[in-house]
Amino acid sequence: MEAVKGRLQVKRNILVICMVAAALGLMVWAGVTNYRQRRAADAKLKQFQAMIAESAPQAPGTGADATDINENPLQGKMAPAFTLKDTTGHKISLSDFKGKAVVVDFWATWCAPCKIEIPWLEQFHNQYAGQGLEILGISEDDLDPDDKAKLAEEKKDIADKAAQLKINYPVLIDDADVSTPYGGVDGLPTTFFINRDGKVVASTVGLAPRDEIEADIKKALGSGGQS
Amino acid sequence: MRRLLCAAIVVAAGVAAAQNLPWKANVAASGVSSVEQSKAEAVHYLFPEQVSVAAGKDAVIDLHFKVNEGMHINSHTPRDKYLIATRLIVAEMPGMKIGPVEFPAGSEYALAAMPSDKLSVYTGEFVVHAHIQATAGQHMFEGALRYQACDTNSCYPPREAPIAVDVIAK
Repeated sequence: MEAVKGRLQVKRNILVICMVAAALGLMVWAGVTNYRQRRAADAKLKQFQAMIAESAPQAPGTGADATDINENPLQGKMAPAFTLKDTTGHKISLSDFKGKAVVVDFWATWCAPCKIEIPWLEQFHNQYAGQGLEILGISEDDLDPDDKAKLAEEKKDIADKAAQLKINYPVLIDDADVSTPYGGVDGLPTTFFINRDGKVVASTVGLAPRDEIEADIKKALGSGGQS
Repeated sequence: MRRLLCAAIVVAAGVAAAQNLPWKANVAASGVSSVEQSKAEAVHYLFPEQVSVAAGKDAVIDLHFKVNEGMHINSHTPRDKYLIATRLIVAEMPGMKIGPVEFPAGSEYALAAMPSDKLSVYTGEFVVHAHIQATAGQHMFEGALRYQACDTNSCYPPREAPIAVDVIAK
């Protein structure tokens, strides 16, 4: 009887030791896996940071967002065509400006950084219009197409705000979701610089430095054949 | 021996819990998408998830929200008519009446390029007090905080932070 009890005790001890060993094995495996995952994540992060440093050297005073950190997918491609009405009800198409350099600026009445950028665009419009620059502001304000009275009020608000900001170029009302082919514009202002051939040569998301905007305008004016 | 076994299992469980689980690892590794996501969803509802109130009597639910670091949203009373006010949207529910909603005062904020143009904004954590009256039983207070967020360089279209509070009225 005692011998049987002793054997049972030994078996139980062996079982417990095996379970402890398994638990310790699991801990070691978990630790190694965790370490490998962290190393992989760190390497990926470093690679990404290096990519940012190479592709987007920041000018002094440049905000982190105001950028080409990730090159826009439209870069080098034909700018998506559109036809929209301006604040006075006139239809304006991008194709109306063939042979001209065009800046397409997505903005909204509620966008504070846009209020900083717009006066610069007004100045550039005056300065470079003679060289073939056109600027189009596209309002991304919410519209209520099902409520005519409200829609009229919303359009009037856009026109009033444009007048308040003394915008000297056409302000278009985006009731056709034009922002979608331009990449689903999210952060405002978002600005595209289109050359005389109709190709996107630069873009900025967020408030870019004035000098960067002017350089992008010159790039749009300088590239492609003169009309 | 049993103690040793229990200790080993507890430690192993702890290690497993502390692992970078696949979905957590993805969030940590994908720096860009998490940044973009945080910009897109600038405000998060924090708590409570459940409240107990006296049935048939006025009660107040303190809804806690957090605005992501580096971002701000307009307060409930912005200073410019073109700015989009933060507001609470709550669905009417049988057995529960929603009363007035009290928003905190905004703090002053100005963009570096326009120091004289003061905005009234919420940053960090803030609390909205919603008055309710519920009949005895369990109800779901469901709604959303509608806000429009900006950082120093960009503004983002209006979005909604969903809210769900289990209201137990006794």
